[in-house]
Amino acid sequence: MNMFVIGYYAALIAASCLAAYFHKRQLFMLLFSLTLVSFVLGIIGGVPALRAVTIFAGLLALAAGTSFAFKEFLVQISKPDLAKELRTAPLTAAFGMFVIFTYAIAGIFAPWIAPYGESEVIASAFAPADENMLLGADQLGRDMFSRIIFGARNTVGLALVATILAFLMGAFAGLLSAVKGGWFDQFMGRVADVIMSVPSLIFALLMLSIFGTNLIVIVIVVAVIYSPRVFRLTRAVAGNIVVMDYIEAAKLRGEGDWYLIRKEILPNSTAPLVAEFGLEFCFVFLLIAGLSFLGLGIQPPTADWGSMVRENATLISFGDITPLIPAAAIALLTVAVNFVVDWMLFRSSGLKEQ
Amino acid sequence: MGDLVGLVARRLGLGLVTLFVVSILIFFAVELLPGDIAEAVLGQGATEETVTALREQLGLDRPAPIRYLDWLAGAVTGDFGVSLVSGERVSAAIGERFVNTLFLATYAAVIAVPISILLGVIVALLRNSIFDRVANVLTLTSISSPEFFLGYILILYLAVRTSMFPAIASLGSDMTLVELLHRTFLPALTLVLVVTAHMMRMTRAAIINLLASPYIEMARLKGTPPWKVIVKHALPNAWAPIINVVALNLAYLITGVVLVEVVFVYPGIGQLLVDAVAKRDFPIVQACCLIFAATFILLNLAADVGSILTNPRLRHPK
Repeated sequence: MNMFVIGYYAALIAASCLAAYFHKRQLFMLLFSLTLVSFVLGIIGGVPALRAVTIFAGLLALAAGTSFAFKEFLVQISKPDLAKELRTAPLTAAFGMFVIFTYAIAGIFAPWIAPYGESEVIASAFAPADENMLLGADQLGRDMFSRIIFGARNTVGLALVATILAFLMGAFAGLLSAVKGGWFDQFMGRVADVIMSVPSLIFALLMLSIFGTNLIVIVIVVAVIYSPRVFRLTRAVAGNIVVMDYIEAAKLRGEGDWYLIRKEILPNSTAPLVAEFGLEFCFVFLLIAGLSFLGLGIQPPTADWGSMVRENATLISFGDITPLIPAAAIALLTVAVNFVVDWMLFRSSGLKEQ
Repeated sequence: MGDLVGLVARRLGLGLVTLFVVSILIFFAVELLPGDIAEAVLGQGATEETVTALREQLGLDRPAPIRYLDWLAGAVTGDFGVSLVSGERVSAAIGERFVNTLFLATYAAVIAVPISILLGVIVALLRNSIFDRVANVLTLTSISSPEFFLGYILILYLAVRTSMFPAIASLGSDMTLVELLHRTFLPALTLVLVVTAHMMRMTRAAIINLLASPYIEMARLKGTPPWKVIVKHALPNAWAPIINVVALNLAYLITGVVLVEVVFVYPGIGQLLVDAVAKRDFPIVQACCLIFAATFILLNLAADVGSILTNPRLRHPK
């Protein structure tokens, strides 16, 4: 029994008592079940396990604090309407926005933030971290940290371009099908069915084996694979709007299809489409990361998170976590986008699960 | 009952048509190659004679629709032609690997399905409590992580630092089942983590959706004990969504398996596909894609048929 263990349990039990005293039932349940779990953990894993729990809780508290501060910051700088919405955002959504903001900064200002160029060889292969290199060197002796920063620009940028293309194609086809109806609608629906009936990664591999792996091919292939999802959603949302009386009125006025789409349908269907954009980005991002992990995405020497994991994977067998950092960067961004999307879906649908 | 049989038959027919269209897509995608297969495989430096020879060997002088029918007839009987790189029969390369992949997917499914449905129901019953929120954040994190991230974390902590399980899932021919399960535990666990998160969320949504319906409230108001509300009233209607969730996620396993096999160097069909794509070995790529797509379509089909068959309203027509 050392001081750390005594302090650990004392802090947990004191916090549970405080929570119970102030009638915070849920918080009490959480803290007390953590205490009970810690007994088991402490017996199995000893002090290191408890230390890990403490570090994890500390990180969680830090993240919560940062997101709370960031939320307050956003509330302060935005207009009153938006500020009111933001005030109701849960901490997870604020955390998501903070992460997206950080990535955007890293991506846009990559050349100024990164201490070295993305393909600049500065050390021996797999050199450990020192005062010049925050995270050590990769398999060719390039600075890992600089490559991760540049990766934010390359990987996220590529995924963003592919998502926007998928979105434009899907949304345009969906709106057009809803307005035109008839055989065009039927035909597009069947095409979407066929594309969606092949698993996305398999479809991408097939197409890349035929057209080779250059960036334009990747963007187009990924956009084609994911546009049916957008198509279906847009078609469904627009389908509900097209039957409204004001659309009928506009048609009788003699307005064209393009006017209907732009002025009548789009303004009424933005909320679900924006949420779908976030979800779509996650799918596209994970697919592109998977492809580059398989060596079929962005080609070297361009820094890219997926291929960085693959190239440095041998380090893992020596117990080094550096190759996991780019993978963690991918996961963190996807989680962040998902948090924000969750909140937006909740808000736009007015969905309150009792 | 005639109604039910008709519905199932129509769905099966639709599935067959989809499969047929997808096979056309897979075959004719290769026809889109600039030039033809022979030129693409041999590259710039090939002489006129070698290209002609390869063309003849592949039968490229015949029109594409006839070659497609040949290929399809072969594929149905399990014959996918000859590999362009090794000259080996594609069916021989795929055979054992396909069994390995099926084994891995089944292993993961057997662990994941019961756990995730149970957890999904529990989380749905505890909805909006703090446990539900924690579960929400955890499952979202697990879904958002790329499969290779989870795989390498497991390798780092369970194979390298504690050496409880082997990091590389190499298979021998004379291994006992226990040894086999131990060797393939990490890849299976990676798949379980991803799929469980998906399934939990979908089960939770399905159950919550159901519990909000008026007839459940009626049962509750007339004083039925909670367990009876779940077992007698909610469950019969919940089978359809749950079967759907399971089948959709098994279909999802198929994509996940490719990345996981590469991470763990598992001798499966996903690994074969990735290698073939890098080498541009089209017969193998086509065969693997067809197998993956067919499994995916069949599982989706099973989901639809299952939910038709378990729907009480369709089973007892008025």
